[in-house]
Amino acid sequence: MATFDRRRINGPEDSYPPVFDDELDAVDAYALWKIGEPRQGRAAGDVRPIFVKPGLINQANGSAYVETEKTKLVCAVYGPRQSKNTVYSDRGRLNVEVKFAPFSCAKRRAPIRDAEDRSVAVQIHQAILPSVRLELLPKSTVDVFITIIENDGLESCYASGAVAASAALADAGIEMLGLVMSCSSSIVGKEIWLDPTDREVGLAKGSLVLACMPALGSVTSVWQSGDMTPVEAMECMEACQERCTDIHALVSEALLANARLS
Amino acid sequence: MEEGLFAPCHDSSPAAYPYLSSNALDDLSYDMTTTVNQTLAHPSLHPKNLGILSKKKSWGLHLDLMVLSDSGNIYDALFLAARAALWDTKVPVTRAVEYQGKKGSATLPDDMDLEQESGFDTRQVSRAVDFELPDYWDEGETLAGQDQWPVCVTLNIVAPVYYLDATLQEEASTPLRLLLALSFPKSGPARLQATRLLGPGETQLSQVKSLVQEGEKHARELFAALEAKLKEEDVRRNQRARDRFVLR
Repeated sequence: MATFDRRRINGPEDSYPPVFDDELDAVDAYALWKIGEPRQGRAAGDVRPIFVKPGLINQANGSAYVETEKTKLVCAVYGPRQSKNTVYSDRGRLNVEVKFAPFSCAKRRAPIRDAEDRSVAVQIHQAILPSVRLELLPKSTVDVFITIIENDGLESCYASGAVAASAALADAGIEMLGLVMSCSSSIVGKEIWLDPTDREVGLAKGSLVLACMPALGSVTSVWQSGDMTPVEAMECMEACQERCTDIHALVSEALLANARLS
Repeated sequence: MEEGLFAPCHDSSPAAYPYLSSNALDDLSYDMTTTVNQTLAHPSLHPKNLGILSKKKSWGLHLDLMVLSDSGNIYDALFLAARAALWDTKVPVTRAVEYQGKKGSATLPDDMDLEQESGFDTRQVSRAVDFELPDYWDEGETLAGQDQWPVCVTLNIVAPVYYLDATLQEEASTPLRLLLALSFPKSGPARLQATRLLGPGETQLSQVKSLVQEGEKHARELFAALEAKLKEEDVRRNQRARDRFVLR
């Protein structure tokens, strides 16, 4: 009875998401799919078209919006700001916070901070940390805030989040060793499918996300989960690295165009 | 759900990390829980004998890991402990139970259409709605997939070499670590269940390749050693205990 309030009209204690008729939903392309059949909608090695727009948020030092079909997220960078409460450190601090909007997933997410937010934040932090020149920013903090507006799978969030964070850091003018690009992949049957959607990850036996700096040819983060042989994992990594080079061209073009306009 | 729920959870005792605030401790627990959870609760490792009644009831499996003291290389220890615990887990044997209405108490009129039982009807529709434990004291059958739970090897990378089993000071001074969780089932190739690259350093893809190969060798030795120890423990606890009881 803790929530009972005599002064107001009380609604029900629990609320549940509405249940929709199945016919109104989009047709599931994989409803009758079996292992060994080709991918629906694109080739195995194709990534979804990526849209990157830097400079979306005026009040942030730098920002970027990344959209790939059903994954949409926006990244804002504030910094370098003075870190007031901590001891002096001659290296700057990079703070990544991720928030899933309550409407971003199929089932509503409560606005409280939970473990999945943190796991995406830790992964994106790992991906971009080696690229930022924090030794030039003593006693400073760079804050990266990522808001996920629509989410099509965890791997997609890792990949697009790293790309958005890197583009936003570049937009903010923070010195970096190179842009970090990230690509996800999964093993379905015997094929490697790049940039899988959430539905495709459900069909896969294992998935891998690689973050690298194509300009320097170095790898900043590898995240792999699921049943793969070490050989398959290496093949995925190589496929991802190739694709990252293509994404890098696209993102740097978008950043240049934005810089020319302003 | 169909086949049971698996929920690994990690907790760090504040005594293990006295220098961390409680928020930082929570964050550390979250991070370790996420790594262990994403690896062990992956659908490819889902044990097959957790179901009780298809689509109605199943067992839930909870794995809790408590760190009492940490002197480095914590992920290897966590996965070793998890594997040992899961290897040892037993699932109680159940028997499906069907409820039948009491005969003669029904007040349905006789001229209502009742489905006639046809001799040609060979469908096996299970009307079981509940289960019971036939033998309360029986520990049950072992959890399926004993040889698929992975062991973890952390390779601390100081280019161009790597080293294993770092102490806290060594970890603090090494900019990059590669975590590999591998399992070696008896039939089939080695399975890489998780890979994580941690730390502010960066590396080349060619180095990652050679590290994965080296890591596989180390993991294989660790796996074999743990397997031998677990089997020995199993014999000691079950077989010998039974023998000693018989000879008492």
